[in-house]
Amino acid sequence: MDKKDMTLIGIAVLICVVICVLSPYIASGDPDGLEKSAEDAGLDENFTVEEVNGVPEAALPDYAFANDPENQALQVVALIIGVLVTLVVGYAVAEIVKRRN
Amino acid sequence: MHIPDGFIPISQCLIYYVILIVALYFSVKWARNNLDEKRIPLLAVLAAGIFAIMSMNMPIPFGTSGHMVGGALVAIVFLAPEAAVLVFTVVLLIQALIFGDGGITALGANVLNMAIIGGSVGLYTFKGLQGMIGKYAAAGIGAWLATVIAALACAIEMGIAGTFPMNIGIPSMVLYHVFIGIIEAVLTVIVLVALDKFRPDLLAWNKEDVNEGDA
Repeated sequence: MDKKDMTLIGIAVLICVVICVLSPYIASGDPDGLEKSAEDAGLDENFTVEEVNGVPEAALPDYAFANDPENQALQVVALIIGVLVTLVVGYAVAEIVKRRN
Repeated sequence: MHIPDGFIPISQCLIYYVILIVALYFSVKWARNNLDEKRIPLLAVLAAGIFAIMSMNMPIPFGTSGHMVGGALVAIVFLAPEAAVLVFTVVLLIQALIFGDGGITALGANVLNMAIIGGSVGLYTFKGLQGMIGKYAAAGIGAWLATVIAALACAIEMGIAGTFPMNIGIPSMVLYHVFIGIIEAVLTVIVLVALDKFRPDLLAWNKEDVNEGDA
């Protein structure tokens, strides 16, 4: 990888970290378009059309630490973990699909 | 517009997974021929950036919020919806498995809406309009339309699933995403302008004039 691409990754990670630091404090907590549409249709919060069993428990549910879900500093940490995992997995997947020749 | 587990019956989830597998087959084929040393990091940073920006819900009218999705952006950067399929499979899988955002069973449907439909609508709208109104206006309209059409597709899937009826779901989803699409359009154009200014070699639309330097 040349220097320009290292710079790209560095700047992208920096922008991502800034977003992660701000999000827990300034992002809107209002329902998103799909949640609001479900509300409009009168669905309650725990609605399911078919119960799904056996789905593994999320390690960081709702981008927070399960033992202290309201802690915004920990939400920042959760988001930064997500960014780094996505970067590494994204890089690995791209590298693997490219090489599998 | 992340569909959670429990909103689509398993039998229908399987159909969306078949669509995902077919899309991934074509995307891997595309990647082999089109990803190179500098487009691998580009794909990775777009995935990371999309993960981050999806946490930034912005308020829209009606007590609702929305965030950028990025399917149109990735498809336009690479001039290939296949790139969006790869990026979104990674991002949505991580969000579902680690953060419980969007269902694991609904992964196929979510990739269909945000990457296959969002990426294709964004890219082909861009391609159709760029000659008439310029690259950035075309990309903005492409990104806006991608959001609205992906939301429409989601509402239709919810209707088929029996989660909520289309006569309520379609007007609600389209109305909210008309506004969320504005966020999508603005951020898509900002990222494209920044890339074109600082790393024009990374944009597939500049590929022709950059190739000489690469070879």
